[in-house]
Parts: sequence; structure tokens; C-alpha cells
Amino acid sequence: MLRITCPYCGSRNESEFLFGGPVGTERPDPNTTSDADWIEYLTVKPNPLGPVQERWWHARGCGEWLTIWRDTRTHDIVEAPNDTE
Amino acid sequence: MGYNVTINRQGLSALFDLKGKKGAMSDHAGGILPVFPDQHNTYTQSAGSTLFHIGRNHWILRGDISAEDTLISTLKPDQAPSDVSIVQVSDTLTFFSVVGADAAQVMSIACPLDLHSSVFGADAVTYTEVFGLKALVLRQEGGFEFAVEQSFGDLIQDYLDRAIA
Ligand SMILES: [Zn+2]
Repeated sequence: MLRITCPYCGSRNESEFLFGGPVGTERPDPNTTSDADWIEYLTVKPNPLGPVQERWWHARGCGEWLTIWRDTRTHDIVEAPNDTE
Repeated sequence: MGYNVTINRQGLSALFDLKGKKGAMSDHAGGILPVFPDQHNTYTQSAGSTLFHIGRNHWILRGDISAEDTLISTLKPDQAPSDVSIVQVSDTLTFFSVVGADAAQVMSIACPLDLHSSVFGADAVTYTEVFGLKALVLRQEGGFEFAVEQSFGDLIQDYLDRAIA
């Protein structure tokens, strides 16, 4: 079980949260991007071996959405990698 | 094993779900609300009403069911400005009180959250889980109170009976 820190409620059990999926790339302009890139954006989700940025919803808590980095190798919540915000 | 605890399923409370920025809420309804709690997940009380601060820009007002009509006429949900939402939700939650020397032990069976007084103080309230269901948990004199969706009331009563048997 993960312990996830809600900015509002502090550290809580994972069971209070719902997974909101990985944070994807920025939405390209569908009028100017290629079909291949548009399909890539719509269908291919980040699935790295290592840190992945994820959205979680504190559904059984305060209702806040939050963003964390989780390392897929260890399942640990980690700091954002240096080259990201 | 027996527990020194008294558990009571409460009757209906007058409940209102309040959403909006604090300033806007205060402008519309501040006159009849208890003072807004300073801290997240705490509550304040005055004149028979309790104000739970349970999320960002989100509160629940609880009063006696006999005061419901008065609260409606003063909160004026239908006249709230567009950046304020006031919804009467009295029928949606059922409250249980768990008081007595072993109240914390019984709550620890039901709820994984650390409810020790050093963490969950005298004015603490929060949404969390009770027997795996979303529940509003608060500390009260001599123990705790919690609320679950009204439809789960009988189920939770049964769980509590088994927990303390
Ligand atoms: Zn929260």
C-alpha cells in the first residue's frame, strides 16, 4: 500500500485515492500536427521504467486532484527528476 | 471481548453542502455561519451549528433538524450568487457517535486513519474511510462521531455491533 501525501489532508492511505492515470504530453494542435503524432498523443500513454508523473484523486477524502512522481521500479513516490518541473 | 463504549445512531441533522471561495461564501451567508475554521479538516461551532471545513473551498454546515427551515430561509440557496453553491443534503448522511473509554479502540477497527489526539485534535474533522466506505469522521467530547451515506446506515450498525461483540 502506498502512502500518498495530499496537499490538503497530509499523508493518507492509497485506498482513499483513485488513480487518474499518467500525466501525458501536452495536447498538440490537431490542425497542424501530423496524423501519426495525433494518434500517438491520443493512444500512447507514458509507461517508463523509472519515474512517471501521475494524477491521483483524493476521492474518499477532500476531493483534491494531485500530481506525484512514482518510480515504476520500486513503487516509491519520488522527487521529480532534475530535468522536469 | 467487551469494549467500554456507547454507540448511537443519530437522527437526521440539517446538513448543507457549501462550495465557493471563502470571501464569496462569507458575503452571502457569513452572518449565520459559525466563524470559518482557519485550518483544513477542522470545524467550528456556534449557536447550535457546526461548520466543517472538509476540502478546498468546501464546507458542510450541520445544524439541528428542527432548525432546518430557519437555515434554509437564512442561507437562501436559491438566491446564492453564481460563484457560491449551497445544497441541502440533510437526507444523505447518517451519523454515529462512538463515545467512552474505548472509543479510540473501536474506531481503530473501523478506520485506518491515525485518530490519536496528538494528530486528530479536539476540533478535527475529515473525510476518510470507515469499514472501507467514504465517511466523515470527527472528534467530539468523549470520543468520535462519523457519518456515512444514509443507505449504508444499517450495514454500518451491523459492522459496529460485530466489532464490539
Ligand atoms: Zn485530501
